[in-house]
Amino acid sequence: MTGALEVRGLSAGVDGKEILDGLDLVVSFGEVHALMGPNGSGKSTLCHVLTGKAGYRVSGQASLEGEDLLALEVDQRSRLGLLQSFQYPTEVRGVSLRDFMIEAAEERGLSEGEALSRIETEAARFDMTRFLDRSLNNDLSGGEKKRSEIFQIAVLRPRMALLDEIDSGLDIDAVKQVARAVEEMRAPDLGVLMITHYNRILRYVTPDRIHVMIDGRIVDSGGAELAEELEAGGYKAIRERLGLIETSSEPARRPADFFTDTPFDVK
Amino acid sequence: MTAFDQQYLSQITTSTTPAWRRSQMEGAYRVFTALDEPTGAEEDWRYVEFDHTFAELEPVAQAGAPLESGPFVASLPERSGHVLIVDGQVLEHHSDVATVLRLNDLDADPGFPALVPVDHNKLTAAHAAFSTDGVSVEVTPGTVMDTPLVVEVQGSIPGTVSFPHLRVRVGEDAEASVLVAYRSADGARLLMVPKIDLEVGDGGRLRFLSVQGIDHAATSVVHQRATLGRDSTSRIGEIGLGGRLGRLDLGVSLVGDGSSSEVVGLYFGEGDQTLDYRMVIDHQGRSTTSDVFLKGAVEDDAQSVFTGLLRIEKDAARTSTFETNRNLVLSENAKAHSVPNLEILCNDVICGHASSVGPLESEHLYYLRSRGLTLERAERLLIRGFFQEVIDRLPIGGLEEPVSQEVFRRFITAQAEGRVA
Ligand SMILES: Nc1ncnc2c1ncn2[C@@H]1O[C@H](COP(=O)(O)OP(=O)(O)OP(=O)(O)O)[C@@H](O)[C@H]1O
Ligand SMILES: [Mg+2]
Repeated sequence: MTGALEVRGLSAGVDGKEILDGLDLVVSFGEVHALMGPNGSGKSTLCHVLTGKAGYRVSGQASLEGEDLLALEVDQRSRLGLLQSFQYPTEVRGVSLRDFMIEAAEERGLSEGEALSRIETEAARFDMTRFLDRSLNNDLSGGEKKRSEIFQIAVLRPRMALLDEIDSGLDIDAVKQVARAVEEMRAPDLGVLMITHYNRILRYVTPDRIHVMIDGRIVDSGGAELAEELEAGGYKAIRERLGLIETSSEPARRPADFFTDTPFDVK
Repeated sequence: MTAFDQQYLSQITTSTTPAWRRSQMEGAYRVFTALDEPTGAEEDWRYVEFDHTFAELEPVAQAGAPLESGPFVASLPERSGHVLIVDGQVLEHHSDVATVLRLNDLDADPGFPALVPVDHNKLTAAHAAFSTDGVSVEVTPGTVMDTPLVVEVQGSIPGTVSFPHLRVRVGEDAEASVLVAYRSADGARLLMVPKIDLEVGDGGRLRFLSVQGIDHAATSVVHQRATLGRDSTSRIGEIGLGGRLGRLDLGVSLVGDGSSSEVVGLYFGEGDQTLDYRMVIDHQGRSTTSDVFLKGAVEDDAQSVFTGLLRIEKDAARTSTFETNRNLVLSENAKAHSVPNLEILCNDVICGHASSVGPLESEHLYYLRSRGLTLERAERLLIRGFFQEVIDRLPIGGLEEPVSQEVFRRFITAQAEGRVA
């Protein structure tokens, strides 16, 4: 079986710090996977390394539909169909969301007319119309930035979407809306990896598989029962069951903190 | 060759020179002979290579033929008057709305409040001594100019120095709009030393935009001063594209209570250009506000200099002032110097400054590329965005397209030729 995304023995570090430690992960087409893990375990780093952000020492393998991702430039990976929604989207003054999306759609072979109509449709769907002519992500609230990310992904139609905490900072209606969008994205030729800290989005999206990441590795994978175990006992329970020693410098969080419906963005 | 000496001075102080002007010229001449040429060692001329001397330059005997207007003036179909100054001599001056006169036709010194001092440097002294022609624009109280007065200032004769002079006085509650377009003949090595004096009366509004588009072989050193009356507003835009050396020495004095000043600008240096901005915003009245917003890029071996001083005088209570200067350095040999300064003599103020020098931000490039834009396309989008913020704030409309096209053209040519790092 060729996965949409296949990651084998992926390690990555920055300035002497090891973040990813021989990570293995396969997300097949047609599937939605959830990735959970404590703060600092390396979830965002995984996304950045896969999309090709500069500055990491990388070893191991990663491919999309058999294409070696690590050999490609950032924009080539994107045009191949790999798209990330960012946990902390970058603000770019002077560049409007609309112009940006037109250029990005044109790079994917769409005509300007097709691009414009897709932009209009998706903007209406994600309530982004009034942000189209404003500077990219500039002066947007946390939740609006997340909506902008999912909007961009909807316009550009990936084959593999890495959604990094797309549900953090969203109000309850927006969580439902984003969850619905993820479910609607499901397609035989599309894979989704959804990073989240909250069970609440899993009420509306049913992942085919849940992975738990600790200290730069996937330590366990399973179904809905894994999320329930986390909800009940936090990462401490998982560590204990798997005999993992706590090495993270992050203080352990009480489960009660962890699964409240009050979103928190740590960092 | 004609020298800038006593004999030349006598020759240009003719029977048509008004008496008030004659005595100014004679006084300024003494200052001129006492001052040294800038060598680059002076604090004011740091980073800047001024490589002209008066021994090597000739005065203009007869103005050359006017040059074509160029893309910026051409794109302004609506105008309320026209002034053409070639090689320091006034060839055209008329307006339907403002009173436009030659300075030599004035019976008395129009008495501008905050002129640049004659002894500011050798060039200002030279201007005061040797400028023989100029234009005075008066907008009478309550008059509103809807469309700009276009002032073309041109230099055409290689080896000369010219001293163009423009004075604009905006009467009480009047509104003026002035576009100054600088040009010089292709390949001509020459020096232009324009002087621009602006005064905005109580409740007046000035919109002023200059486009410095001289040839890359020429040098221009502009001294520009503005004085603002009570509750008046001045919006000044500066676009810097031309010159081997293009310097703007700008002073805005917020004298009247409640006056406000905005200075926005963009510059783009290529080749071995130096684009140099010196600005002093002087808050004297109470409850005055000012904002300086300047953005520039340099590529190849070009350099830019921004030295900005916000001065808040002792009695200038409730001043609010800000200064921003952002620079993109697009190649290894290009340089940008940014030196914002504050001098605060009063403590009831809100003020601040922001300045940056560096390449395009890698975080921005990564974000745009992660959506599939090639590096080149991402860079172009960021360059456009960088300048768009200034273009959106230009005080006179209608020039957005040609300005952004020219800036963009410089960048994409360099990009195509592999001159950006
Ligand atoms: N550029 C960097 N330089 C140094 N350390 C880094 C860098 N990027 C990430 N790290 C560190 O690597 C670890 C993993 O960071 P990462 O952002 O991938 O975590 P995460 O799992 O996404 O956490 P969170 O749940 O808080 O978003 C953290 O300890 C972080 O501080
Ligand atoms: Mg993260």
